[in-house]
Order: sequence, then structure tokens, then C-alpha cells
Amino acid sequence: MPHPTDDSWTVLGLESSCDDTAAAVLRGTGGGAVILSNIVLGQTELHAAFGGVVPEIAARAHAEKLDLAVEAALESADVTLEQIDAIAVTAGPGLIGGVMAGVMLAKGLAAATGKPMIGVNHLAGHALTPRLTDGVGFPYLMLLVSGGHCQFLQVVGPEDFTRLGGTIDDAPGEAFDKVAKLLGLGQPGGPLVEAEARKGDAKRFSLPRPLLDRPGCDMSFSGLKTAVLRLRDTLVADQGGLHAQDRADICASFQAAMADVLAEKTRRALAQTQAPVLAVAGGVAANQVLRAALEQVAAAAGARFLAPPLKLCTDNAAMIAWAGLERLRMGARDDMSLAARPRWPLDQTASPMLGSGKKGAKA
Amino acid sequence: MPFDALVLGFDTSAAHCAAALVSGDRVLAQAQEDMAKGQAERLMPLLEEVLAQGGAAWSDLAALGVGIGPGNFTGIRISVAAARGLSLGLGVPAIGVSVFDARAHGLPRPLSVVEDAKRGMVYVQHFGPDSAPALSALEDVVVAEHITGTGAGLLGAVPLAASVPLAVAIARIAALRLGTPQPRPAPLYLRAPDAAPSNDPGPVMLS
Repeated sequence: MPHPTDDSWTVLGLESSCDDTAAAVLRGTGGGAVILSNIVLGQTELHAAFGGVVPEIAARAHAEKLDLAVEAALESADVTLEQIDAIAVTAGPGLIGGVMAGVMLAKGLAAATGKPMIGVNHLAGHALTPRLTDGVGFPYLMLLVSGGHCQFLQVVGPEDFTRLGGTIDDAPGEAFDKVAKLLGLGQPGGPLVEAEARKGDAKRFSLPRPLLDRPGCDMSFSGLKTAVLRLRDTLVADQGGLHAQDRADICASFQAAMADVLAEKTRRALAQTQAPVLAVAGGVAANQVLRAALEQVAAAAGARFLAPPLKLCTDNAAMIAWAGLERLRMGARDDMSLAARPRWPLDQTASPMLGSGKKGAKA
Repeated sequence: MPFDALVLGFDTSAAHCAAALVSGDRVLAQAQEDMAKGQAERLMPLLEEVLAQGGAAWSDLAALGVGIGPGNFTGIRISVAAARGLSLGLGVPAIGVSVFDARAHGLPRPLSVVEDAKRGMVYVQHFGPDSAPALSALEDVVVAEHITGTGAGLLGAVPLAASVPLAVAIARIAALRLGTPQPRPAPLYLRAPDAAPSNDPGPVMLS
């Protein structure tokens, strides 16, 4: 096993916090790392009929796929388990059944092999990815849009994050999924709504830009979704249904509202932090309209815009292995009592935005 | 496979963490702790304690036996996921053993194993003659001469006492299956996930 300060750790990463079962092998080198393999086994077809991810269905799939993903990752990296120096696993936040399956598999592997194990915050995985892909130095501004999450983070160190703001209800991904469902487009909503929007007129319908008139970087997308529902119902009541052009125009108008909100809030976050780099993660980076709006804002602020390749932007285990490696280099380790956490805010000092009940902030 | 092969059996399919280390007829160490939650944090330390008590190391094991339910969905997955990780890391088989097989171990036939499935339902399997495991409404269950399991009381029956603790039975059954091809352990749920297909068909599309 390499010395903790040695660069050449080979790390196995595991990720199972939502609907992707993932395993990856990464090798540290010169302060960075190379990805030796990156396996993602998706579950989209399992959840398609339900209009969203069903936690119990996801957990069932993870429990029976994770070891297969690990074997595939080792084989694809041409590395044996003996050659792995440490195991990094997503320990939260996320759907607890899946997170627990991942944590238990990692514990089994670690106990059997005597390798060190480290629990990784899924959001830290996303937030630290620009350092893996582009060697970005601290600090930088991160717009993290993943699954149910949407927040602005000032990334100061591998365990040091300051949250500037985020959504107080739905995440953009959820809003895209719900709009797709309302319009009968199927799932997942992101690419389907974007494709429809390309054929539509973004100016035909005026949809709200929630919280745009309020100071700060907090966002809200629940009202936007409801406005789409009302618009749909009004059109259906007037016409007895929707024309294809109506649907395309609604999608384009919705996407434009989303782009306006994200762009303005990003502009404020950049102004507040004076960050030299704006990095984005998650499906938002895959949407050409949203991405263009963010690129424009970054350019106007004189910040470098950075979007990791999509495969490393959406859920994956290479980012977990990388975030684990960053913590391992700092000397961090976890033991066999490592807990799976449904809620785990990256910025422990910020006041909760979501799920601020007695169980604490979700993220 | 040698008769005295060292096998570690464990189960978290209900409100407990249970483990046993067996070698042939001998039980080298065993433990059962009742807990409503916290099995994911407790299981691995408990397994290491049982191993140490039995004077064994992980690398001494010939196989793992793991309880696959039916029972608490999350609990079953905790053990199954750990077993799959251990199996991959140790290079020894992990063998899934159902609660039915474990409870029936060493008891007379004909036998019905009945487990409380909540909501007026039970999980049932009959032995001698054997039936397939099933989820059944309480009133539909016809039991054999002997009965055991957590659901026996729901039928007004007095259950037979177990011949050995659950984890011991799981380890022994796994040992008996060693040497024959075994699938990877998978949870035996018997109950579909609670999920309703989307009921919004979307708008009528006009031409």
C-alpha cells in the first residue's frame, strides 16, 4: 500500500445513491489521477412506468448489481482486487436503500481484503470533479445540479465548501421530469423537453421566473412547474387537447424561464465570490440552451467556464473514487461503523434549505 | 468439501443482528443482538467479534451463509450486500439461505413455516411435501401438522421451538450446500415494491 502522501494510490469507487449502479477504478498521479475504468449500469427502464425513480425498486437493483459493476470495473481497468489500495463509497446523501447497499458492499470488500475504506459525500464527488478532469485549483464556484439537488458552492478544499444558495423546493431535473410528464413526453424529461423546445417558440407563453426579484442566490422551480400545469389545462379546456406546436412552445417557454433564473442567480454568485472559474455538474450541462446561458454569464464576469464531460457530470463512480482519493491524501479513513446517510449537507454551517425538519437538512 | 469447513452465517432480516461461526457439528461462536435499527453500522463489527471469539480470521472461511428473507427489505439487503462484498473480497462463495429453510432446519415434517408479513398477510412455505415460498392472506393459509415461525401466533397456533438459533441454521445449511453450484445470494422479497404506475396519461394530442 502506498504511503498516504504518495500519489500513486489505486482507488476503487462505488456509487449507488440514486438510479445508477456504478463502479470505477482510478489511479493517482502527480496530484491528479487517471481513470482506468468507469462502469455505470443504469436503471432507467425499471422506473420508466412510474414517472420517476422509485426508491424501493432502485434499492433492489443496486443490491444485486453492485458486485457485478465492481467486477466489470476491475476487469475493464485490468486490475485485480489485490492491486486496489483503497475503497471509496458514496455514504450519502441520497436514497437510503441504495446508499446502504453500496456502503455494505464496500465494508464487505474492505473487511475481506484489509484495504482502507472511505465514505464519500455524493455532492463532494460532483463538486470536486473539475479537479479530476481539468486540474482546477481552489477556490472555484460550482453550480451543482444533480438529481434532487441544485446549489451554488464555493469550493475551497476537499472538505471545505460554502453554500451560497440553492433551490428551496424542486431541482431543475425534477422540474424537467414533471413538465415532460404533464405533456405526455415520457422520461427522463431533460433531453425530451429540450428536443421539443428546439421546435418551439420560447416567447409565445410568458412563464414566471420565481425568486428572480429577490436578492441572493436561492432558487425555486415548483411554481414554474405549476404554471406549466395551468397553461396546459387552459389550452386543453379551450381546444380539447394540445397541438404539437403548443407542446413545443410550452417546452421552449419553460426552458427559457429556467435559463433566465439559472443565469441571473449564477451572475450574482460570480459577483459575490469573484471566483475565477465557474464549473457546472449534472444534467444542466447537457442542455445546450442552459449551458449557453451559463457560458455567457461566465464570460461576462471574466470567469472560465468549465463543464466536465457528460459521463463525469452525471452520476458515476470515478468522481467518488476521486473525492475519496482527495480525502485519503489528507489522511482520512473510515471504519466498519461507517453509516449510510440519507441527509448530509456539504456545508455543515449553512442553514438548511430543504427538509429542515427534526432530522436536519437534506443537503 | 471437508466436513469441518469453517462457515460464517449471518442474518439481519428482522429486528436483530445475528451471526454464528460453525465447523461441522460444532458451533465455535455465535451472537444475536436485538435492534430495531442500526444493523448497517453494527453487522461488520459483530461479525469480526464472532470470528475472533471462534479464534478465526476472515481468510480461514470456506464459505458465508447469508439470510435472504423474507422479512425487512432493508435488513435483508444489508446482509446480502455485505455477503456479496465479502465473497468477492475473500474469493469464497456466499450462499443465500431463506428464513423458511433456516427455521425448518432440524424440525419434524410435515411442517409449515409461517412468518408475519404485516397488513394481514403471512409468508408461508410448507415442507414434506415441499411447496414454493409464497405471500398469502392470513385466512387462506392451510397449515401442516407442525408449525413454526413468527406468524404462527397469528393463526392461533403454538410454534415449534427452533432446533438451533437462526444464524447457526443458516451457517449449517450453507455448509451442506457447499460444493454444488450456487447462485449469488439475492433477497427473497415475495412482496412487490410499493409503486403505482403513473396515472397521468398526459394531454390529448390534436393533429
